[in-house]
Amino acid sequence: MIIEALLAFTFAAALLVFAVPNRYAHKLAFGLSLVPIVGSLYMWSAFEAGGNALTGGQIAFETVAPWLEVAGYQLQWYVGVDGISLPLVVLTTFLTALAIMSAWTPIDDRQSQFYGLMLLMEANLIGVFTALDFFLWFVFWEAVLVPMYFLIGVWGGPRRKYAAIKFFVYTNIASLVMFIAFMALVFSLPVDSFGLPEITQSLAAGELTAFYGLPAETLALVVFAAMFVGFAVKVPVVPVHTWLPDAHVEAPTPASVMLAGVLLKMGTYALLRFNFTMLPEQASAFAIPIGIIAVVSVIYGAMLALAQTDLKRIVAYSSVSSMGYVILGLIAFTEFGMGGATFQMVAHGLISGLMFMAVGVIYNATHTRIVDDMSGLADRMPVAVWILVAGAFAYMGLPLMAGFAGEFFIFVGSFGSTALPYAPVFTALAMFGIVIVAGYLLLAMQRTLFGPFRLETDYELTRAPMHDIAPLVALLGAIVLLGVAPSLFFDMILDATVPILELGGGL
Amino acid sequence: MVTAFDYVPAIVLLPFVSFVVALFIGKQLPKKGAYGGIAATAGSLLLSLWVLASVAGGGAHQETYWTWAEGVGSQPFTLEFGALIDPLSALMLVIVTLIATLVHVFSLGYMNDEGERDLPRYYAGLGLFTASMLGFVIADNLLMAFMFFELVGLCSFLLIGFHFREPGPPSAAKKAFLVTRFGDYFLLVGVVAVFATFGTAAFAGAESFPALAEGALDGTVDVWTPGGLDTMTWFTVVGLLVLGGVIGKSAQFPLHTWLPDAMEGPTPVSALIHAATMVAAGVYLVARMYGFYALTPTTLGIIALVGGFTALFAATMGLVKEELKQVLAYSTISQYGYMMLALGSGGYVAAVFHLTTHAFFKALLFLGAGSVIIAMHHNENMWDMGGLKNKMPVTYWTFLAGSLALAGIFPFAGFWSKDEILYEALIHAGSEPLLFAGYAMGLLAVPVTAFYTFRMVFLTFHGNARSEIARNPEPVRWNVKGPLSVLGALAVVTGGINMVPVQKVLGIEGIDYLHLWLDNHWGGIEGLSSHHYAEIDPYSSTYPFGTEVATVLAGAAISLALAVAGLLLAWKLYNVAEPVEHTDKLGGAKTLLYNNYYQDEFQVWLADRTRGVSGGADTFDQGVVDGVVNGVSSVSLFGGDRIKRIQTGVVGNYALLLTVSLTALLVVFALLGGWF
Amino acid sequence: MVPVEYYLLLSSGLFCIGLFGILTRRNALYFLMSVELMLNAANINLVAFSFYWGNLTGQTFALFAIALAAAEVAVGIGIILALYRNFGDVDVMQAATMRW
Repeated sequence: MIIEALLAFTFAAALLVFAVPNRYAHKLAFGLSLVPIVGSLYMWSAFEAGGNALTGGQIAFETVAPWLEVAGYQLQWYVGVDGISLPLVVLTTFLTALAIMSAWTPIDDRQSQFYGLMLLMEANLIGVFTALDFFLWFVFWEAVLVPMYFLIGVWGGPRRKYAAIKFFVYTNIASLVMFIAFMALVFSLPVDSFGLPEITQSLAAGELTAFYGLPAETLALVVFAAMFVGFAVKVPVVPVHTWLPDAHVEAPTPASVMLAGVLLKMGTYALLRFNFTMLPEQASAFAIPIGIIAVVSVIYGAMLALAQTDLKRIVAYSSVSSMGYVILGLIAFTEFGMGGATFQMVAHGLISGLMFMAVGVIYNATHTRIVDDMSGLADRMPVAVWILVAGAFAYMGLPLMAGFAGEFFIFVGSFGSTALPYAPVFTALAMFGIVIVAGYLLLAMQRTLFGPFRLETDYELTRAPMHDIAPLVALLGAIVLLGVAPSLFFDMILDATVPILELGGGL
Repeated sequence: MVTAFDYVPAIVLLPFVSFVVALFIGKQLPKKGAYGGIAATAGSLLLSLWVLASVAGGGAHQETYWTWAEGVGSQPFTLEFGALIDPLSALMLVIVTLIATLVHVFSLGYMNDEGERDLPRYYAGLGLFTASMLGFVIADNLLMAFMFFELVGLCSFLLIGFHFREPGPPSAAKKAFLVTRFGDYFLLVGVVAVFATFGTAAFAGAESFPALAEGALDGTVDVWTPGGLDTMTWFTVVGLLVLGGVIGKSAQFPLHTWLPDAMEGPTPVSALIHAATMVAAGVYLVARMYGFYALTPTTLGIIALVGGFTALFAATMGLVKEELKQVLAYSTISQYGYMMLALGSGGYVAAVFHLTTHAFFKALLFLGAGSVIIAMHHNENMWDMGGLKNKMPVTYWTFLAGSLALAGIFPFAGFWSKDEILYEALIHAGSEPLLFAGYAMGLLAVPVTAFYTFRMVFLTFHGNARSEIARNPEPVRWNVKGPLSVLGALAVVTGGINMVPVQKVLGIEGIDYLHLWLDNHWGGIEGLSSHHYAEIDPYSSTYPFGTEVATVLAGAAISLALAVAGLLLAWKLYNVAEPVEHTDKLGGAKTLLYNNYYQDEFQVWLADRTRGVSGGADTFDQGVVDGVVNGVSSVSLFGGDRIKRIQTGVVGNYALLLTVSLTALLVVFALLGGWF
Repeated sequence: MVPVEYYLLLSSGLFCIGLFGILTRRNALYFLMSVELMLNAANINLVAFSFYWGNLTGQTFALFAIALAAAEVAVGIGIILALYRNFGDVDVMQAATMRW
């Protein structure tokens, strides 16, 4: 029942924060957001399940209850976690609380609505990562978009309407493609509910039948492709990534943190859950195109980041690049590849969150994010700047920080992959991303943070306040902790990803 | 029973603690963290000496401390942190901690006494730098080595860019990190390849990757190779990939360009980087996994060629530099080239020997240069110096000792080690033509080295003072003279640890201590001995001058004669009251050398091209990829805008439309349904 | 007995008259009348088929439609009055301010 309690509490907290006056909202929201952290950490400490939730492994904190019956299909309230979803739940609760704190400075208008939406989004995200019934999952999946739409559209920058609508429409159309494909899949299976485990196991047993004249094999390929496209937009990978920089640039800092930190992981999580767990053979059939997409995302995303002059755009494009690694790890179909991809989701969530927050702290003080407008900030705001430097090095994959662990697992997993032809070539090409990422981040840092101080303002630039620094420190601590001891999450992740390999994708 | 090996983690952790202390409470400490750093590194030094003594007493040690991550099924890789204490790492531990301690003491004079700001950050950086290097030295597997290798790179970034308020240092720091990162990319691919091939990255033991590689070449072990590649070819590729990281960190051609720029960092940091930490890391890595390199002749040949070429190439650039530290920077590149030449020619001991002696005399030279820089109020141009000999005798005499060692003059430390390198290259050149090229270039570099070294000495210390500051230099204190004296003594005597030529010529057995040491004479780990490496490397010895003794003597005589010739030329040209820039006579060649063969320009050009490509990619992304997205949206909006014109607001039009459409539908159904 | 085809001819004639009125007139009152004609054409159809099949459902529907037509007239006249107040005329062509 802990998951229900977590969801109910977060929804109730959101409603409560909507109701309180603006001047109390920020502290109340932060205080309330600490409770889900405690809850998720309790789940982490009490977690004892083994195996993958979808392939018949033991599911932790599982509850099933019938909900509706439609056309012979039972829709259920079906939630539970395994080693893949639990780290992401922890990431969500942790990052939401810190994002709320990072909003204290920049958000000075309609605070109660802002924080209410943040908590509402948290609740829906927890739902996405815990739901095990397709319809329940889909409700949460779509409901996440709504708070984010308003967060960008109301509190965003000058082109916020454009960005918000682009974000909403782009990802929503993608969801539609995925939804239709998934329905076609389910209707061709002898199942009587939308429970994801049931569907997965039915597919694994080879029970897929023809659909309106499409043979089962073709249907599986078509469904795989459609679902891949649907989720790829969310990840995002090249070439369906262009909503991301616009959304990031216009979004207020806390929304960017959530967008890069958790919302992008919905895409990779769904890819892992749906495409790579349910249809592993089809994934192997598409291995080369997916490998190419991954490598292109890594290199092309990094090259785009190199060309940017807006700090937020740089970090946004580098997210595209980092997500390419995740795709590479998934398609490798090896233990370290898939495990590393899942680990990288968490690691990248923390690191990109840290980067957006740190850039936000600097923006709060300078009111500009353009690289050429400033120089030598390390002189005036040392703590924030050095944390940004630490975050940048984490992004570059500095050892003993979480990013290196994720990337190294992916590389070591994918290099010897048998599912992906020419795996060493793909891996080596993708790894070149670590040089480009160092290039653009170092270049941007050198120009903005170091050198003689220069910034045209009519006020004195001062150190950042404590409540801006505290979330940065917390994130940095988490990044180092996971970098030194990745097995805190990696063991349970492996536990849940290894059964996927046994389904036949990698063999 | 408590042994020295129980304290191995403490050797790494002590400087790390000093990093943490300096970072968080450095501001409140009396010397801003300096004493903490000195205490920590001195503690590490004592522990390292204890470890050294324990290894000499017959011990060797291997222990796993922390399992970082572990695979469970089809990829059973165990990624862990552990210590491997054998003669090589014990020796390196002593070198690193000794240099680090002296650098910390020297920093008191160079940083604290000069009133620098942000000292806690400086000492934190030094502490982390030392800790990372020590972690790298004790690493028992390639992954751990890579991780600390990267941390060393981070620390070099932080310390080179220490004076971040000026424009130069941040740029140099960025370059240092980026160029070495480029090398590390290959190293990381190599590490991943090692895991994929062997399933382990351990350095020592029967299940280590060098041992497995040996087995695979013998046909007793099966390993994975990509696409069923021939094992020898694949091992060569892996060896070259790892070598990429070595070339980056040890500043070998063509990735050497970061090192001269790194002179923007504070001088004690330069001493640390050049003598004991970052640059040494590359060569140390090759020595550490020499059991793997010795198996692949092609890789060895390439190492020797790169090393020999770099030795000569960098030495020529050192000829024309005007700044004290620039000359030293190029000499470092050149000397590490010698070490690579030694490793490539099967001279494992010779390389470690030169690594040791170089650590001492190069640290000495940098600290001496630092002393001069203090005296000159941070003016580094040698043409503004002159005549400092009498005003700062301690610096002069120690610097001279270091210079003689660098130039390879008998009987200073550098002579013995450089001689052994050239000897190894010479006797093995018969079996590998690449070695002969390496040997020739290494030999050519000898007089050049002697010349630029003494050009530097004479310009700095001899002749008349050429500026007002040089006439009244600022005095330096004990904290500068102390480290100089220690290193000066070491630069004179360190050659004594490996008197191979004396042993061979005079027949006195047992004075080649370093050979015995690295051959596990007193203890060590099976498979990690120079003896074993000599067995598996592809070389056989031939003596071009007849007997072994004759070859030893002839080789030593040739290199010494060349070194003395270079020295004498420098004496003649620059040891005068008012020297002039004789290298101007080189004309266009000087410009070429002064601009480092336009290597930097080439790399900047490459970087600019990359940015150009990225700009193109951005235009493409904004225009085409996002253009398609926005195009879809525009088409929808435009279409909607046109189609909405149907809604005229006139009821009659709607009615007409309804009627016409209905009629049309009826006609269509009628035709399709066959009503007619 | 009159064949059902005659009723259908009558009803379609009536419908076409109504349609013609709608397509050609601009006065809202004519509109309303034309709509009523078309509605009654449908009613005739309903009654005719009900008679033809011997099933009373059609006649019931026709009664409902007549009641509905009465209500519709009430609403329609109300709209026409509002139209007149706002535009000073009952010309349907003028009331196009809410298009796109």
